[in-house]
Amino acid sequence: MMIRLLTMSRMRIFEVLRLLVLGCNSLAFVKGLTTLTQYKIEKLTSLDGIHTFQDFVRGGLIEYLDVNEQNNALIALYEGEATSETTHIEIEPFTILGVCAGLIPYPHHNQSPRNTYQCAMGKQAMGSIAYNQFSRMDSVLYLLLYPQRPLLTTRTIELVGYDKLGAGQNATVAVMSYSGYDIEDAIVMNKSSLDRGFGRCIVMKSYTAIYQKNYENGTSDRVLRPQRTGPGSERMQILDDDGLAAPGEIIKPNDIYINKESPIHTTGQRVPADGQQDIGYKPAKQTFKGPEGESCVVDRVAFCSDKSENLCIKFIIRHTRRPEVGDKFSSRHGQKGVCGTIIQQEDFPFSETGICPDLIMNPHGFPSRMTIGKMIELLGGKAGVSCGRFYYGSAFGEASGHADRVEAISETLVKRGFSYNGKDFLYSGITGCPLQAYIFMGPIYYQKLKHMVRFSSHYSSGPRVMLTRQPTEGRAGNGGLRVGEMERDCLISYGASLLIFERLMISSDPFEVQVCRKCGLLGYFSHMLKRGICSSCSNGDNISMIKLPYACKLLFQKRASFENPFYLNEFMDTFDW
Amino acid sequence: MEGVSYQRFPKVKIRELKDDYAKFELRDTDASMANALRRVMIAEVPTIAIDLVEIEVNSSVLNDEFIAHRLGLIPLTSERAMSMRFSRDCDACDGDGQCEFCSVEFHLRAKCMTDQTLDVTSKDLYSSDHTVVPVDFTDSAGYDSSEQRGIIIVKLRRGQELRLRAIARKGIGKDHAKWSPAATVTFMYEPEIHINEDMMETLTLEEKQSFVESSPTRVFDIDPNTQQVVVVDPEAYTYDDEVLKKAEAMGKPGLVEIYAKEDSFIFTVESTGAIKASQLVLNAIEVLKQKLDAVRLSEDTVEADDQFGELGAHMRGG
Ligand SMILES: [Zn+2]
Ligand SMILES: [Zn+2]
Repeated sequence: MMIRLLTMSRMRIFEVLRLLVLGCNSLAFVKGLTTLTQYKIEKLTSLDGIHTFQDFVRGGLIEYLDVNEQNNALIALYEGEATSETTHIEIEPFTILGVCAGLIPYPHHNQSPRNTYQCAMGKQAMGSIAYNQFSRMDSVLYLLLYPQRPLLTTRTIELVGYDKLGAGQNATVAVMSYSGYDIEDAIVMNKSSLDRGFGRCIVMKSYTAIYQKNYENGTSDRVLRPQRTGPGSERMQILDDDGLAAPGEIIKPNDIYINKESPIHTTGQRVPADGQQDIGYKPAKQTFKGPEGESCVVDRVAFCSDKSENLCIKFIIRHTRRPEVGDKFSSRHGQKGVCGTIIQQEDFPFSETGICPDLIMNPHGFPSRMTIGKMIELLGGKAGVSCGRFYYGSAFGEASGHADRVEAISETLVKRGFSYNGKDFLYSGITGCPLQAYIFMGPIYYQKLKHMVRFSSHYSSGPRVMLTRQPTEGRAGNGGLRVGEMERDCLISYGASLLIFERLMISSDPFEVQVCRKCGLLGYFSHMLKRGICSSCSNGDNISMIKLPYACKLLFQKRASFENPFYLNEFMDTFDW
Repeated sequence: MEGVSYQRFPKVKIRELKDDYAKFELRDTDASMANALRRVMIAEVPTIAIDLVEIEVNSSVLNDEFIAHRLGLIPLTSERAMSMRFSRDCDACDGDGQCEFCSVEFHLRAKCMTDQTLDVTSKDLYSSDHTVVPVDFTDSAGYDSSEQRGIIIVKLRRGQELRLRAIARKGIGKDHAKWSPAATVTFMYEPEIHINEDMMETLTLEEKQSFVESSPTRVFDIDPNTQQVVVVDPEAYTYDDEVLKKAEAMGKPGLVEIYAKEDSFIFTVESTGAIKASQLVLNAIEVLKQKLDAVRLSEDTVEADDQFGELGAHMRGG
């Protein structure tokens, strides 16, 4: 906790603020600039050991300002912009942004919401998470096989170490239309690039088994040596003699990863230690329920004890995946898109120098998003690879030399035999003829996001709620997804109303009810008389049988229960009974 | 039925030929032919690559699939690939790697015993067949052979070990890029550049200089003696139109005229080292011929003539 005393002399206010979390602190030089000699500035910038940064903070030359204090300060971006009114000078403008926004190259050239989107998306990007990533036991961990350092970096990237633990890859992007599978921000990917490792990732999931030691009656679980022959042994192939899955084994769905048994009776009279062998056990095997048709591998098995001193066995199961149609990718400019299709390299456009893009992005992504920063990133990246150095795009960095200017980038491009505007002359890979337009092509740092279709696609034939006979809600409980009114409206407006009937009634939950044509209420089917009876008319003379969804029948009954029933005979003219 | 003959006789002129690099001209044909050749070179010339890895011990930092993927991408010398069988078509075996017609077995054993990091490279792969070995880059590229030790697979620290058996099979780039023998295969239309000498003479030396510099690649230069603008390297022209725009900006449209010759192509072929660049081109032509055989109609089918008419006659070379 931190206490801030705030004086606002002009308004004669003295505020005491208690901040639970540190406010957004910005670094700034105090006004006493005149006392700060050039000598001192040099001492500070070189940090030679005589003066440290802290000395300047203590000496009052550097001050940390929080958001409230900033309201009462007039801060100049650069020394030259300071006037007599100025209270502070920013040490370096790019420090205004934090870690997330600091990763964006040329953010000051983007429309501001795009930077906001990227700040949220950068956290979903796969990459290397830490140097100890292979020793950790996270419940889910997404890692990129070949993470790269961005070709277009910022000073923040270097300060936070994103260049050492990256979360993306430099992809050669061609901004053009291709194949129609690139509408609505979808990207077209080069199959050979994927073969060579672009966008490959490791998904590691942890599965836990608890070995309960002390039940109420003193008995405990046991892990058995697996059966090697006979029925059921084929599901135990990956088990070691200790009854646990062995690291390095390929695990398929329905394979057993721990051959555990629990005592049948866990309560009641205490079983003495020497009588443990005689008690009955029931199998408590745990089976792997991964997606069908994927080969997963047991990566590690770890032992630990949980809070109630039970032995806890954790299995890390690893799966290496290559990108597929529907996987989500994003550049660092809030431009997310799914992979629309994967196309062979020979069908991809190529330049006469032999360059073939890794992915194709539709140009319609630019006009409405106005992410000029992405275009400059492409130019700078292209200049970077052609001359062999990293280009910089720190926020507001052009003035202080922390961002390369487009003019300088273009000059490099021309020097290396490219067009100054970053466009290339490409040939169609399908016909071999030149493309009609010059194509804006170059490297852009792309992030692979954690949403993958394999995990997002969902269907259900799972559990139902007893009362309504509708599927349970939510993906977590293997439930269904609701086809709501708006979804229904889509089908009606498309003219597929029969499809609704088929899906929501015939293939869903049809239910036969007996209806009385005279009073219009629901009756019942008497199995004794083998015919429908109306309870209110006390006869079965006017009974008809109709089919309706079970939920509909439930609604009728609920309405009837609070004395406001539907009279179904009102619809008799509408429907053919 | 006598059809019109569309047959052409393409000519090839080789400009430069190294083991892993070839540059040649292809003349008197059209883009479809040139592109077919390019596509076959990338995707359909067979090579041999590691396809199945059986890991015995792996205590390295990289996981099994990671290493298997890296092994697959190592180019292997594949002169034998054209005569080998695809594993799926092989009737002499069940694809277990013991078959001489369709597979080659590799072994790798490495263990780091010292405190120095051990680099496991493609040189550590031992092949059961001396004609199929990891490509050696040391001799041709002219690097210091003591320093260059092949393609790195994984690095081991003290105590870590890697032991595996791998089976290499024949395949094509269409199935997986690891089987593609081509690093770069590309072509360009040969440009034809005409300078309007009369108009050029009206320019001052500075104007000529700025005209020459307007091209991002060095296509034009000024002859130091005659001070005339000359074309030094027409193929450096990247069809960027910069000089045309410059001429227009100088108020001299038509100062130069540049056309693409639609029937001559300059090919650049770089091989991964699996097969020689020259052999890559020849194999591509061979594969292309085999593909054409599949669509060519036999000489005496009358129904085919009814079905395809003039096209049938054309395909029989009529
Ligand atoms: Zn009734
Ligand atoms: Zn065989």
